[in-house]
Amino acid sequence: MYGWIWRHLPGPLYLRVIEAVVLVVAIVGLLMFVVFPWAEPKLPFNNVTTQ
Amino acid sequence: MPPRPRPVDPPTEVIPRVEDDYDDDEYYDDEPAAKDALPPDSMARKTVRGFGEALITMGLIVLLFVVYEVYVTDLLSAEKQQDATAALDSEWNSNVVTPPPADPNRQSKLNLIEGKAFAKMYIPVFGNDWKFSVVEGTTDKHLEIGPGHYKDTAQPGEAGNFSIAGHRVGKGAPFNDLDLLESCNAVVVQTQTQWFVYRVLPMSSEVGGWATNPKAKEAACTGVAPLSTTLGDAYSKTVGQEIVVPTQGEVIAPIPHQVGAAVPADKQARLLTLTTCHPRFSDKQRLIVHAIETKSYPVADGFVPPEMTEG
Repeated sequence: MYGWIWRHLPGPLYLRVIEAVVLVVAIVGLLMFVVFPWAEPKLPFNNVTTQ
Repeated sequence: MPPRPRPVDPPTEVIPRVEDDYDDDEYYDDEPAAKDALPPDSMARKTVRGFGEALITMGLIVLLFVVYEVYVTDLLSAEKQQDATAALDSEWNSNVVTPPPADPNRQSKLNLIEGKAFAKMYIPVFGNDWKFSVVEGTTDKHLEIGPGHYKDTAQPGEAGNFSIAGHRVGKGAPFNDLDLLESCNAVVVQTQTQWFVYRVLPMSSEVGGWATNPKAKEAACTGVAPLSTTLGDAYSKTVGQEIVVPTQGEVIAPIPHQVGAAVPADKQARLLTLTTCHPRFSDKQRLIVHAIETKSYPVADGFVPPEMTEG
């Protein structure tokens, strides 16, 4: 998977490094601000109220 | 002297090339020569590699989730808490209210709106910087802003049980150190017109020997005594700290653990109850802290209750 992505990034090496960094940042951002806020209430970590 | 015969070189031993099983073409990505030497990718290799990479990826996602939970939610919540505090401050500064009635039993009810802050909370033993605006409501959305007041429980200073839930990990973690509160520690609540000083009740281990406990003589413990001795058996289960299962909603009942309250409302103690998750990072149980109101002051310009400098 990672190898496949690397081989398919266009451009010379320095450009590919930049592309890879941008990809990583984008995915981390997506996780932090979209996926985790959605998933978090469904997980049993941080319920603080009594019923 | 005749020349010494040179030693005869043994014939060069031909060692067959070692075929290794490594399948790491990414490692050799920049060395095409090495790559060419590797056998072509078989379906099985691809599958195993893909599986391994998927496992690594999942591990990274879990790590990232921990970072999110412990740090990122703090940042997001800090902003919301700031907004709520700013809104509360401007509300308090803008509308002029009549001072609280002289009779403390007849105080004006606050108009609580879900999701809006209505009081500020201080725990001096946690330091000067420990202050949070308390919002009305205890849904996830409300608790992201700050500690949340259980709807339908008493208001600050009212007879009954003023109950607040707060996060212990992430989202500002207002109640991170709730387990460190000791008996007689002050929890100060400020509304627009009044300050209320609540003090943590004696722990269950202290209830028995409270009368002979030197701590009970300290100034901080004035007005603090096991409730079973001052208010009767109905309060026998109300101690400074308890750990319960999440379904035990009776801890926030007007008289904790007594859902069918046997004591008329005007004879009920003025309690404060804080709830958070326990143990940390889990929601298996709830950590509960009970405190009793010992003092109240009217809000006045420049006045800060002396309890605020304790700790």
